[in-house]
Amino acid sequence: MLTGSKTTFKVRQLVPDMKERMLSHSSFHTRGRDVLGLCCLPGECVLQRAVLVRKKLSVKEGSGWLSGTLFCTHFRVAFVPQDSQRPDDNADPVLLGDHDVALASIDKVVAVGPSRTKLVTPNGSLKFTPEELVLYCRDLRVFCFLFDRLTPDAQAMEITYTIAKTYQPLKPGTLLSFQNSALGSIEMKQFLSNRRRDPNMNWFECSADWEQELERAGATGWRVSSVNDRFEMSTSLPRFTVVPHRVLDTELKKTFAHFNDGRIPRWCWRHPRGSDLLRMASFQNNIYHEKDDIRNLELVLFGGQQMCVIVDLGEEMPSPADIQVAHTRLRTLCLGDISSSVSVPDDKWLSTLESTRWLDYIRCFLRKAAEVACLLRGGHMTVVLQESEDRDMNCVVSSLVQVMCDPHCRTVAGFQSLVQKEWITAGHKFLSRINYHRDCDKEEAPVFLLFLDCVWQLWSQYPTRFQLTEEYLLALHDSVQLPLFSSFLANSQRERCRRSQHLPQSYTPVNGLRELPMGEPEEPVDPPFPPVWDWALQYSSSRRARFTQPVSQAACIPPVLNGNLNTNLERSWHSDGLPGSVFLLSRSSFSNPSNLLPWRSGNSGSYWKSHRRAPSSEGLSGLERLIRACSLSDPSENTTTLHDPFEPLLPLLIGPCVRVWRGCYLRGALHPQAFSHPMSSCSQHPLDQLAFEVQELGEKLAQASVRHPEHQTRQQEPRRLESNLNQNANNGTFLFSSRSSQHQPPASRGSTRPTNLTRAPWTASEPPRSAQRISGKHTFLFGHQQESQSVQRYIPSPSAKYPKHAGNTH
Amino acid sequence: MEKQHSSGSDSPVLPVVPRKPRVLLAGNPASRQDSVDSPESPSGSHVEWCKQLIAATISSQMSCAGPPDAVTRECRSQDCGEEHGYRCDSCSELPSHPPQVFKRQAPVDEVQLVPGETVKTTVKDVIYICPLTGAVTGTLTVTDYKLYFISLERDDPFVLDVNICAISRLETFSVQSLGENTSGIEIVCKDMRSPRFAYKNEEQSKLEILETLTKYAFPLSNGLPLFTFQYKEKFPEDGWKVYDPVAEYKRMGLPNESWTIRKINSNYEVCDTYPALLVIPKSIEDDEIKRVASFRAKHRIPVLSWVHPETQATIVRCSQPMVGPTDRRCKEDEHYLQTIMDANAQSHKLTIFDARQNTVADNHKAKDGGYENENFYPNMELNFLEIPNIHVIRESLRKLKEVVYPTIDEQRWHSAIDATHWLEYIRLLLVSAVRIADKVESSKSSVVVHCSDGWDRTAQLTSLSMLMLDSYYRTLRGFQVLLEKEWISFGHKFASRVGHGDENHLNSERSPLFVQFIDCVWQVMRQFPTAFEFNELFLITILDHLYSCLFGTFLYNSEHERVQKEVNSKTVSLWSYINSQPEDFTNPFYVNYENHVLYPLASVRHLELWVGYYVRWNPRMRPQMPVHQNLKELLYLRTELQRKVEELQKEVSASHSISSSSEHAYSPSHGCTPLHTSG
Repeated sequence: MLTGSKTTFKVRQLVPDMKERMLSHSSFHTRGRDVLGLCCLPGECVLQRAVLVRKKLSVKEGSGWLSGTLFCTHFRVAFVPQDSQRPDDNADPVLLGDHDVALASIDKVVAVGPSRTKLVTPNGSLKFTPEELVLYCRDLRVFCFLFDRLTPDAQAMEITYTIAKTYQPLKPGTLLSFQNSALGSIEMKQFLSNRRRDPNMNWFECSADWEQELERAGATGWRVSSVNDRFEMSTSLPRFTVVPHRVLDTELKKTFAHFNDGRIPRWCWRHPRGSDLLRMASFQNNIYHEKDDIRNLELVLFGGQQMCVIVDLGEEMPSPADIQVAHTRLRTLCLGDISSSVSVPDDKWLSTLESTRWLDYIRCFLRKAAEVACLLRGGHMTVVLQESEDRDMNCVVSSLVQVMCDPHCRTVAGFQSLVQKEWITAGHKFLSRINYHRDCDKEEAPVFLLFLDCVWQLWSQYPTRFQLTEEYLLALHDSVQLPLFSSFLANSQRERCRRSQHLPQSYTPVNGLRELPMGEPEEPVDPPFPPVWDWALQYSSSRRARFTQPVSQAACIPPVLNGNLNTNLERSWHSDGLPGSVFLLSRSSFSNPSNLLPWRSGNSGSYWKSHRRAPSSEGLSGLERLIRACSLSDPSENTTTLHDPFEPLLPLLIGPCVRVWRGCYLRGALHPQAFSHPMSSCSQHPLDQLAFEVQELGEKLAQASVRHPEHQTRQQEPRRLESNLNQNANNGTFLFSSRSSQHQPPASRGSTRPTNLTRAPWTASEPPRSAQRISGKHTFLFGHQQESQSVQRYIPSPSAKYPKHAGNTH
Repeated sequence: MEKQHSSGSDSPVLPVVPRKPRVLLAGNPASRQDSVDSPESPSGSHVEWCKQLIAATISSQMSCAGPPDAVTRECRSQDCGEEHGYRCDSCSELPSHPPQVFKRQAPVDEVQLVPGETVKTTVKDVIYICPLTGAVTGTLTVTDYKLYFISLERDDPFVLDVNICAISRLETFSVQSLGENTSGIEIVCKDMRSPRFAYKNEEQSKLEILETLTKYAFPLSNGLPLFTFQYKEKFPEDGWKVYDPVAEYKRMGLPNESWTIRKINSNYEVCDTYPALLVIPKSIEDDEIKRVASFRAKHRIPVLSWVHPETQATIVRCSQPMVGPTDRRCKEDEHYLQTIMDANAQSHKLTIFDARQNTVADNHKAKDGGYENENFYPNMELNFLEIPNIHVIRESLRKLKEVVYPTIDEQRWHSAIDATHWLEYIRLLLVSAVRIADKVESSKSSVVVHCSDGWDRTAQLTSLSMLMLDSYYRTLRGFQVLLEKEWISFGHKFASRVGHGDENHLNSERSPLFVQFIDCVWQVMRQFPTAFEFNELFLITILDHLYSCLFGTFLYNSEHERVQKEVNSKTVSLWSYINSQPEDFTNPFYVNYENHVLYPLASVRHLELWVGYYVRWNPRMRPQMPVHQNLKELLYLRTELQRKVEELQKEVSASHSISSSSEHAYSPSHGCTPLHTSG
């Protein structure tokens, strides 16, 4: 692939032929493979193309250059390698090929000529024939295409122009045409309407979803309230909220007025030690507190617990505007745009990086989340995150806490459920924050990207405790820039529901597997937007295969948090505060300000009188002891606890440990020093190769063992082992899950049975029934290879020895 | 961090931990036997520390392998036999711990000694002042090889183990907070840490500690031999046989029609800092060599370091020419370089790389040194690489230590690293080495590399570019050969640069050039993770034993001195230890990039501070979980699957021959999937 086509005789011969074909070929509108190998989406038009173009490959892709044809359509800039395999015409459409970039992701188009470099704007002119075309993307990727000297000059010029004209220019209103060019065709709508939702993840769209989450977390004393079903109480809250059992809906209704935008304290998650995580907006002041209201407010805030800690995120955390500034600086620094000719000298790189403050902010959020995680570990309290709007920082911290504490949230399905719960339905203003329409520059702030970076930091410190991979985080990071997904195209659940009013409001669980037909297209203004989690729509299966760890760790045991599972452990902390105490956690210290709860500060509340006593200082010191564990983050603490799956992953926050996400921000760092890499272009990344080999071996085994069913002794072992592996599959090993799970009965949800903390090779036998029951979990993500063959697989026996350098024979 | 390991062993982790020893058994029974027999593994404590990190990592990965049950308990007790004593370095303290686990271990208060090591003094009630958690009271033992502190005051033993030879200086300070009669001692080490102790000022103990420490930390200044001459460990492998110059030159295809191996320096009479065997152009006469030698600083004449197998382009090293302020000429030297150029038919140029800054080289000219004048050397092209001298590098590392130990300023971390310029100098070296390698590979031109004396920057540059050019040097053995050849035999002044056993810590001859080189190797390794047969532990081990004086490998300044001191017969080689258990030091994902030239990216944004080495003693540091452990699991799974496939295929073919059903004909060749990833 790397062989430069410049000098080969064969290519020279081809050129006139290609030109001819170009000229004669007029109907671009047919679905299917273009003459030169572009597999168009339905309705996609090729606007321009250039032949004999070489694409610069990233280090991950093996570096070097790949020659092929460059296309520009209404939707994307596509690159088809010369000798790419002919794609299956009947395969489901994938929005972006491995070498493609959507127009909407492009930030800048730069043409490099023999002696000059120019930023190409839609209206600008180009006075030279570009030799190189560099596309800077909003997601920090950089695509670099080199025009061969055999590329017709006109093509090089034209495609540069076309891209510059068609890419998402910085003006509002062009969004819709982009969306329509991607998803607007009838075929595409039809196709989308037949997509199934991922049944493995929790979408948090109906009350059953929330109930399932309550059950999963083992949270008792809480119920799902549908008081906001029609968004009458709060326009930004989801339709369902989780509140204490003891509060009736009628009582609950009165509490909404006490909070900014009606965002009352809502349950998010329960720690296995029995403490609850809540989030809320700031209190509405100047409101009269009736006696009954106060009772309800206290109830809502305390749940069933004795104590409540309010974590104030307003003043300490960077504001969205800060984050935006930091991110812009970081982007400028990392992209190193060649057209601007402002480059940071090498010896100032680290200082400049520091001055963006991005890493400071990352550390700030991680520290806060670690403190909250440590508090929750103490048990017997509610920890309430408070932020004036409850739509930015609360999202980051509450979801980070859960990633740290709950192994389930470190799986792909669990992580998606988490984002669904704490961001999408909770009303993070994705539309404004991402600023797709370019109409709310003031509100633009990549809060969600900051969160992804925080998760990456955790991942890079504990890679083995995650089932999801960096690749997955990158995919999600890049998808944010693509204005095609319902998940990000609204500011609240209400907006989403309004947009899809013609859709059924909820869907009924059928045998555990829920389906949601995307509805008939009734001439909607917008095309039907798929959720971002429909990865098969965006990425090829080979990329998706890298979303999960090749070797599954036990991190992804379906966490069965049976309430106070571990509350007897010595580290659990017994509240020595008085019942009803409220503390404020701010700047890593606790205080007990009298005006913390507005209704307690006044003299009017009779409730308060009965509780008026000296604030308990023991409570304070006890709490401080709790979070000291995290602020010290002393190594020993962590190592002993590594083995408890619910111990939080406390990140190290000292300088060298909070690092720049090179895999993301420096992906596009193109430098003249990029010499050829030894990795030969045809071979995959060694890791992929290895994963592939393991899979292949597994299949061989399966065939071999299927062939001889009559062989009694042989059959025994595979079957037992198969169950283990399927269980493993449930844990997300793509190596095994995809095929075997196709024909399995659908997963029955809500199982609370504790599955053993399994790592397949060393598990003793597990009842096969349970394994089958849960093995259907990955059908959505991975089940697109149609293969009905029953696959039996092997697993090394427990006594197997670790091989001496597995294959390292030198 | 031994504690982590130990904590690993009491938690439900065990199914894996015992596997590691088994690997070793399977891999190299002899060597394993050896280290099991001796209670203390012969490696320096740092190596053990690193290994335990890895073990801890494996175990933490397996943390969820299952609830603790009878089986794992069994494993645990089996495992204990193979575990060595507790050792812990950064001051971690463990919260409660099931005590019985700990008791099953070997008694911890007993200092474990390497063969030949003797305890010199033991003092009780010494306080270790941990930068993170405060004072810890325990027992301090000083042997002729290490300083060993253990505290049993908490449930978990706290252990600190420092190679006594790694001590750079001892400083006393006063400790008011711990009572009047207490004095403090700070042990400043060469490997980026400085633990502090405090002890009661009673006459006897004070004398004992300070005197013994001084005596054995700086044996040469106190008329004692280095510990390596007492070290009595026996290894199945003999590391002194790793480097055979003739064999190595033969591997390069030497001698050939233009180059010969000459014994002209066999008694070190031409140049006492060069090795006995030198590769010199065939046509050069002996007296011509002598005249060239007198023209080159320290008589370090241009000799061949490496020759390209295809193009015959060579890397030649030497010292600066003594041109002096008057631009002296030496016909023989000019002819000599011309001959070197002619030996390579591919190019009509010879590129000279002077590692120094141009201005510095000009200053040297005033002091009788200088550089080749392009007018007198007609086909030569002279390039200055602008690399600062050893003093600048020393300062840079000193600043780096201040940044990383004992506390790190989070807010200012990056600018503080920038201010040390350490990465900047690493970048300079890499850029220069890439230039040299590119010259040889792409321009097919021979190059001459020198700095002032040709034993510091020259060694760094030639060895780095050889590492990029020649895949052999990227293997475990090959890298040892590279070090033995370019650094040890060609007279990098290890004794002066490191200051083994010498108390004069202010000696301006000291400089961490070798550390800098290993850092560069690490940077290249990070950019090409599958191109090296060895792993990070190997590099850390080399650096630890650069200071430890346990092995004779890095002692003395030149081959000549080493022969005089009979190092080969009286001491053990580091490579004996390494090659006796190569499993620990190999990269499981090594892919042999034969004939590939590595061109690392040398911009600071592609370099990273080597946190695993420089920051490892920071008390807040916790080992990061290396992903490669995860990958090892995958390799393991593959091997197992492969075995099963083969077994099944045998069975299938066996049953086929019985049933003779032709339709299921199975080709056994399918079973052998080519293993691309196994080197």
